[in-house]
Amino acid sequence: MTVKWILHWTPTPGSVVNSQILSEISQCVESFVNAVKDGRWKATLTFYRPNLRDQSIPSEFPRDFLGISLLEQPNKYYFIIRGNKIILEADSTILTIMEKLQSYKSKVALNFEGVQYKMGDFQMKVVKVVPNQAESLRGILIEIEYLPLSSIEKAKPIMEEFLEVWREVMSKKSLPGHFTQTEPHFAEYKLPDNYTSQHTAIQYAAALAQLIQSAQLRG
Amino acid sequence: MECVVQGIIETQHVEALEILLQGLCGVQRERLRIHEICLKSGPNLGPVASEVRLLCDLEQAEPSWTVRHIGGAMRGAGAEQISVLVRTMVESKASKNVLRMFYLLGYKLDHELLRVGFSFHFNRGAQITVTVSSINKMLKVHATDEAVPVTPGIQLVEVTAPASAETYAEVASAVSSFCEYLAPLLHLSKPGISTGVVPTAAAAAASLMSDGGGTTL
Repeated sequence: MTVKWILHWTPTPGSVVNSQILSEISQCVESFVNAVKDGRWKATLTFYRPNLRDQSIPSEFPRDFLGISLLEQPNKYYFIIRGNKIILEADSTILTIMEKLQSYKSKVALNFEGVQYKMGDFQMKVVKVVPNQAESLRGILIEIEYLPLSSIEKAKPIMEEFLEVWREVMSKKSLPGHFTQTEPHFAEYKLPDNYTSQHTAIQYAAALAQLIQSAQLRG
Repeated sequence: MECVVQGIIETQHVEALEILLQGLCGVQRERLRIHEICLKSGPNLGPVASEVRLLCDLEQAEPSWTVRHIGGAMRGAGAEQISVLVRTMVESKASKNVLRMFYLLGYKLDHELLRVGFSFHFNRGAQITVTVSSINKMLKVHATDEAVPVTPGIQLVEVTAPASAETYAEVASAVSSFCEYLAPLLHLSKPGISTGVVPTAAAAAASLMSDGGGTTL
């Protein structure tokens, strides 16, 4: 699997995330010389909470337990406990098992809905973050993929160079915000240098956590 | 969902059983070394206590993990008429940190065992798996290298077949029919119904061993 970087949109203080900004960002991608629209993409992230018999007893169970499904891995599901830096990849039947166990219940689900663009050795996705049962835009992400390489270390300088180009394109639009990459801490999750869907799941979880934190700070 | 029957056989007759199974199944046996870890939810977690099993296949170069949930058995008049147990069962392959994940989620070790033996996978009216194994307990937590047999001299035989709500009757029938071929060596029944070893086992085993399974039982 080839290396991906996921960045999240951080609005400047006082500004908001809206569909106008999403449209401007998409135009930036489309303005790349060889960019071709290449279909849609989706992932879903679900927050789980422990199903406690007695709510009054303090819970010692993880508060940051979440699950992710990715379109490119239809038969897999990923569980993450961010605080413990642990990720589990399982068959999607794990969801049936969790339902039968009834020890954890889904609390909130968010969809990542992306439009994919091919551009030579690179691929980009412009991703909007929307709640599962609503249309309101909660955040914007971009995903940059470098197709020739699977090694995260080897891809790093090339991705950084691409990011410079991307930032230059974005600067011409003077949008109220910028894209930031949250450090995914792959080594702490004990993941190898070879990129996998587990790396993708961790990046989306990290980006979302950052989006939530920024939104909370903005009040 | 799955159909299940179990039985026991003396270790001295396992070789004969293997010859018989080889003849019946027409496939090669596979070695089996599975570390089965049974976890239970901690206090206050879930409306009722829940159990989940983690199976680590130690026979492969890189151990692989499966999460298994065994649900309730089918009940009622229909179930009593069937000679095999029909129960819900869901499995999921998982990456190697699944045990740590469940511990962090609040599950505790209830018991663990090591199954060592062999299995046959074949199709005979249904996708059937016959497992013959000794059940071993660990003297120290998770120490599979220091396991000792729970019942020395006796091994467990399990016959299982996946099923669905639409096919369980047909699968149960296929499993029952197959089990009849094993009757001279062992009696298979629903788990929990103990039948002991079969009196004809010694003679049947001797017959199988003397002519390599050529004799029709």
